[in-house]
Parts: sequence; C-alpha cells; structure tokens
Amino acid sequence: MEYTLKDYKSSTKPSWCPGCGDFAVLAALLTTMTDLQLDPDDTAIVSGIGCSSRFPFFTSTYGFHSIHGRALPVAIGLSAARPDINVITLGGDGDGFSIGGNHFIHASRKNPDITYIVMDNEIYALTKGQNSPTSHDNVITKVNPYQAVEERVNPIMMALSFETSFVARGFSGDIAQLKSIIRQAMDHKGFSFVHVLSPCVQYNDKITFDSIKEHIKPIADDHDVTDRMAGMKLVFEPGYYYTGVIYKQERPTLQEKLDEVQSKAHPGHPEGQQVEELIQQFM
Amino acid sequence: MKNLVIRICGTAGEGVISSGDIFALAVARSEYYVTTFRSFPSEIRGHGQCSFQLRMSEEKAYTTGLMTDVLIGLNEEAILSNIKLLGSGGILILDSDEVKNKFEEFSGIIKYRIPITTIATEKASIRAKNMVAIGIMAGLVPQLELKEQLKKDIKKRYAKKSQEIIDSNIKAFEEGYKYATENLKREDNLASMTMEKSGPKLIMSGNEAIALAAIVAGCRFYAGYPITPATEIMEWLALEMPKVNGTMLQCEDEIAAVTAAIGASYGGVKSMTATSGPGFSLMSEALGLASMAEIPLVVVDVQRGGPSTGLPTKTEQSDLNMAVYGTHGEAPKIVIAPMNVEDCFYQTINAFNFAEKYQLPVILLSDAAIGQRKECVDKIDLSKIKIENRLKHTRETDTGLYVRYKNTLNGISPISNPGDKGGAYTATGLEHTEICQPCSTPEVHKMMTEKRFKKLETATQDFIPAKTYGPDDAKIGIITWGGTTGAVLEAVDMAREQGYKIQALYPRTIYPVPNQWLNSFVEGKEMILVAEANYTAQLLHNLVYRLNKINKDIKLFEVLKYNGEPFSAREVFDKVDKVIRQQMLKYTTFELEKDESYKF
Repeated sequence: MEYTLKDYKSSTKPSWCPGCGDFAVLAALLTTMTDLQLDPDDTAIVSGIGCSSRFPFFTSTYGFHSIHGRALPVAIGLSAARPDINVITLGGDGDGFSIGGNHFIHASRKNPDITYIVMDNEIYALTKGQNSPTSHDNVITKVNPYQAVEERVNPIMMALSFETSFVARGFSGDIAQLKSIIRQAMDHKGFSFVHVLSPCVQYNDKITFDSIKEHIKPIADDHDVTDRMAGMKLVFEPGYYYTGVIYKQERPTLQEKLDEVQSKAHPGHPEGQQVEELIQQFM
Repeated sequence: MKNLVIRICGTAGEGVISSGDIFALAVARSEYYVTTFRSFPSEIRGHGQCSFQLRMSEEKAYTTGLMTDVLIGLNEEAILSNIKLLGSGGILILDSDEVKNKFEEFSGIIKYRIPITTIATEKASIRAKNMVAIGIMAGLVPQLELKEQLKKDIKKRYAKKSQEIIDSNIKAFEEGYKYATENLKREDNLASMTMEKSGPKLIMSGNEAIALAAIVAGCRFYAGYPITPATEIMEWLALEMPKVNGTMLQCEDEIAAVTAAIGASYGGVKSMTATSGPGFSLMSEALGLASMAEIPLVVVDVQRGGPSTGLPTKTEQSDLNMAVYGTHGEAPKIVIAPMNVEDCFYQTINAFNFAEKYQLPVILLSDAAIGQRKECVDKIDLSKIKIENRLKHTRETDTGLYVRYKNTLNGISPISNPGDKGGAYTATGLEHTEICQPCSTPEVHKMMTEKRFKKLETATQDFIPAKTYGPDDAKIGIITWGGTTGAVLEAVDMAREQGYKIQALYPRTIYPVPNQWLNSFVEGKEMILVAEANYTAQLLHNLVYRLNKINKDIKLFEVLKYNGEPFSAREVFDKVDKVIRQQMLKYTTFELEKDESYKF
C-alpha cells in the first residue's frame, strides 16, 4: 500500500491564523513524509508549547504535545527507548531557545537520530505578542514598552557552536527549498536542526514574508557543508539570512553509542542477561 | 532476640564507612541478619566525623538498636560524640596512639586501649587503620566465625586496587584480629556469646533494592541526574541496565530526566527516574503532564534534610507534602513510602504495577537513611512476584474507533504505544476529550477530572492494607510511615514492657489512604500520635480532618524529629511516654500538643 498526503493529515483543522508561516512547514513536512513513505503508526511527532507546538494535532501520526520547553528530552527518551520509531520534534523560538534552551545544547551532545524543526517567528504569539529571544530590538511589545533590553540569540550560531550534527535554515516563503531541506534533515543520521523563518501575521509586524525576502540569500552550491568555520562565516555576514544546509557532520548517533554500551555490558550474549543473574551480586 | 550492636567512628576519610560496609557484608554472608546506619558529612575527606553502626542479630531487626555494645573510636572527638551511646557494660575500643583521654568520667564501661595506628603503620600501612579496627572486632567474637568471610570481603572490596593494597589491608586485618585474640586481656564476656545462623540471605542498600526491583518489575529505561543521596540508583542501573538490554541515560537536569522518562514510557517502555528534594522540586511540572496525559511513570525521591540545598547527606521525611500536593492543578498520583531496605524492593514492584495499571505517576518516597544503609533481605522468589502491564489498546466494537481516553467505569482507558497499528493518538497536557482533542469546555473538564480521579478510587482496592502492630484493644494509637516505622514498632514493644497498651498503624501507600484503614484503626482509640521525621507534622496534617471526622473527640499528638538523623526507638518511646503522662495529668483540658520541648 502506498501512503498519500491525506494519510498523514488529521481531521483537525490547524488552529493557526490565516497566513501563518507554520502552514508552509506543515505542508513541507507532510509532503516529505509522503515522499519517504513513512508508516504513520511508526512515526511520532513531539512538541512543546506554543502556536507551532500545536502541530501534532494536525497530523495522523502518533503525537506528543508535551510541556513548554521540554519537547527535546521527551523526544530523546522516546527515541532512546524506541529506536524503531521515526521521531520528529518541533516547536517555536521561545520554546526552543528560551525556556528549553539548555536542552538544545545537550541534545546536540547526545546526537539522537531526531529531526528538530524550529518555527521562528521572533515573538511569543500564543500569549499574544511578547518579546522572544530572537526578537529584533525594534520589536516593542507590552512587556518591553520602552525598548528591548536584551540581545537576540542566533540559533544557527548556537547550533554550530554546540556541534549539532546537521544545521540548516529554511523560510516559510519558499516551500520547495524547505521541502528539500527537511528531506535532507530526515535523511541525516543523527540530530538534525532546521531553523525555519516563519513569520507571525498577527503579533510581529517587523518580521514579515516581505521583509524576510529582502534579506534571504540561498547558500552557494560550492559551500562546503563539512566546514564548520565556513558555516560560521555565513552566519556572521551582516544583513543576510543564508538559507539551505549550512553544516553536516557524520558521527555515531546516541542509539549507536547505547548499542555499544549494551554489547560491552554483556559481551557475547546479544540476548542479554537474566534478571536472576543480577541478584547474585547481593548474595 | 540475641544481637550485637557495633559502632565505628572516626574522621571522614579514615575509611570508617568502608570498614563498616565490609563488616556488614561479611556478617550477612556468614548467615546472620544485619542492619546498618551510617552518618557522614557531605564533604569527602578530612572534615567532620563519620560513624557507622551495625546490628547483627538472630532474627530480622527493625532498627540498629537502642544502645551500642561495642564502640570503636579512631580519634577523641569522634569518641566524645558517640560514647554516650555505649550501654552499661559496653566496650570502648580506642586508638591509644591518637587518644590520650582516659574517659575516666565514663564508668561502667570496659575500655580497651589498643595502639591501632602503630599496628597499622608497622605491619601494613597508616591508611589501613580501619582494617585493624575490624580485625579487632572480629577477634572479640572469634566464635561467630567471621574471620574468613571478612578476608574474602576485603579482597572483593579492593579487587580493583593493586595487589599491594589488597595484601596490606588483609595484613592489617589479621594483625588486628591477632591482637584481640592473643594480646588483649579480656574483661568482657562477648567471647562466650552465641548466635544462631539463619541461612543464606541477600544484603543490599535501599537504593540498590529500588534499582534491582525496577529491573525485576520490567523497567528498561532510566533517565537521571546525579544527586546525593539518590545517585547510587543511577550508578547501579548504569552498570546493570544495559545487561538486560535496557537504557540508562544521564540527562542535563532533572527536568530533562523526568521528561525523558515520560517520553520513553509514552513509547511503551516502563520507565523511572530517581532524585532527591531539589531535583524533585524541578520535576513537579512534568508530574502533572504524566498525570494529565495518563503516562505511567515511577519517580523515586530519596529524601534528604531541609529545604533548598539543605543537608544533602542527612535524612528527613519532609517531602510528603510535595509528593502529595506538589504539582499545580489536581493531578492524581500515588505516593508509596517503603519502611526499610527489603520494603524498598517490594514497594518498587508495587510502584511499577500501580503506574502501569492506572497510567499515572507513582512517587516512591524513600529517605537518605534507608537509601544508604545496607540491610539483609530474605531471598527473593521471582516466581512469586506479580508484574502488571498497561491495558492494551482496543477498538470500540460498535464504531471500530480507538478511544484513547475512554471514560470507563473504573477510569482506566486502553493505551497504545507508537508502532501499534491503528493506535495513533496525540498525548497532551492540555485538557482533552476522550479522543484526545484539546478542549476546555466545562462539561469535558468536569468529566475528565472525575475520570482521572476514578482511577485512584479503583487503585485503592489494589493496595496492600496498612498493617497494625500491637493489641487491637489499645486505646492509644500511633500512626507512622516510611523510615520512622522501624523505630515505632520497636517503641511499641518497649511500651508494652512499661505497661502501656499501644497499637501502631503503618501504611506503605501513604496517598491516597483509603477510609477503611483509618476507620478500623480509629475505632476504640482515645488518642492517636503520629510519628514522622519532619517539623510540620505532614502526615498528621494530611489525616487530621479525616481522623476528626471519624471521631470528633479523638486526641491527636505529634511525635516529631527534624535534626537530620532518623528516629531511634528510644526517642519515639520517650516522646510517647511523655505525651501519655501529660495527657493523664491534664486529661480533661488537653489540646493538640504545642510544647516545643517535646520536639527532639
């Protein structure tokens, strides 16, 4: 049986505002899943809290809409316990870079075979418009009515310095490229991070499809994705958002490391030990 | 019951705890019962005093005993803070190289001044003083035949060290043994003491018992973050979990640990995390998620002393309120408190069974004293252990649909795991309908709240009824829980010898406490004391409304201790005795005890 796009869609209509950038991500992800012919029952989408984190309700796969900032550890637990399941994690900029920022560092260290898509609208939208860790300083909201007092984080720079094993950036205004990026991320063996510029049409009028378009620049074909410094140079170039795959590294995944631990724990006994044997040490 | 209580004390870093550990293991492997208690500062070496007490006995003992029979002291300060624990006729063994004090003000005890440092330095190494000490101890009771087993256990303990270190420790031990059997002019009669062996048994710490039981219960995923005094659970599982093809994952903090465990359990794999107070505080929000999304989860809190960083190496029962109430909203969960090491094993099995069957978080409240001490456990018969699994997902016979959160008569809904065909659903911490759609209508929230709490009601039928100890016709009752239970049961025996009729009630499931346990206990009682190791009488305040509802005339008293040390039976008895005497004096006017002097 061949799966079609509708096999991945749930009957629940997305709760996002008309024109929200997240629709493009939903379309790109579901199409990619169709292309890959993933069994919806062998796939789980894990999210945190926020507008974009409502995502799992709009798909027909297994889903876990967890708590604010904790999508990554939930997903890592699921993936480590069930390596046979395709695990996709997603959320927003507040969820991933503020309350859940710490988990991004350690997910990168663990390198689980998970694709992590962050829909960055540079605003807390579900709570009706407050400054987020990626907001530009011209974004004046009810919680910073005079001015912004913090610098922005740079998610790509974060990922490169944490040595995330796959780093890419896409834009909701370019579904074709986004699909290609998500496909490469899902094909990547290890922790793949996709930063999607995904404008909010309701609470952030400083970052719009049009304003982003002016600064977008696709990464040149001759960019060496294995060169971390080259990736950093792209990030530092002022005035532009480079889109495409920025960095890619092949290294053992969390599951491979855990498998190694198991084979070291019981060399020559792939079926594992009996519980009775563990009790012996207390005699 | 024949028993021998030994206490070794010295400065942190002198090997007091390891020598005590080795001695306890050898006692158990020599087929005597043994229970232990260790006290040490949170610094690793060179500051503060450590002590290790062990009680070997013919039958299983609830505590490490009232008084010490033998006290071994490696320095003066350590002896001064422990000497009052020596009973009349007790033996003080001191290192005459280090201690010049003759302790003449302490009469009625036997003092053996032995040049422990000289023996260690000349025959082995200055670092082997602790081995000389246990050699002397074994030499005091040669008839109990501990020597050969001790040598085996010393070798085992230092197996990873160089042969030189092993030989040096064995030599030091043998020299100590030789000194006691050949050079010592005995004034005591320990050498004529007999003790029956009680057959092969296991010995482990409370933390090890929990970790082992988790694997027996089918747990194959553990996520954790190191924290005193719970770390041994994680360390043991790091070593053993992969042997049964399970996973132990170290996380960046306790929030990640508990949410990873929730993720793994959502994946259908029985999961656990363990922590102590500070980490448990961080886990509060996630406990609500497990309760709301109905994901089975076991969380162990090995309680330590105080709020904030508090007393990391000390014990207290002060997290009960947090375990019961510590997450926002109303999130049903079950709280279990084991009473000793053996109970840690069986209550952990129960915790997993409840979590899986009722799809909710179960909190296991252990404490530093139980977690760290080694104690005998009777041989475990795996064939007698009942393991529960979660209800498999099914389709409705009429509609063919899978209703993940179906509001059933007992509240338990079928649950699918990723990979189960036709079982896909989205788990959420949002209020949701039976088919997992986010929904905040009054009807749905009311119905689903009732559904989730209905599981607790159903679960109470599964609980092992709270046990009582002491005569049914006693007018005085004492309720206790967790690590204080052993001391209370021994205090009931002491009270009987003093002519008091007291009955104890000790539930292991401490939330929810079913009505019938309280009803039958309160019947016929005039006063009830609640004994626990905290300042705010947490269990008493959990129960006071219900106890008063059953009998509005019942008099309630607190029996509390909150200095970081566990209750001894003597302390429980003294407090109970004082309350009863006061009560008899002011029988008609007495109200809830508020006198500070009553608190230890």
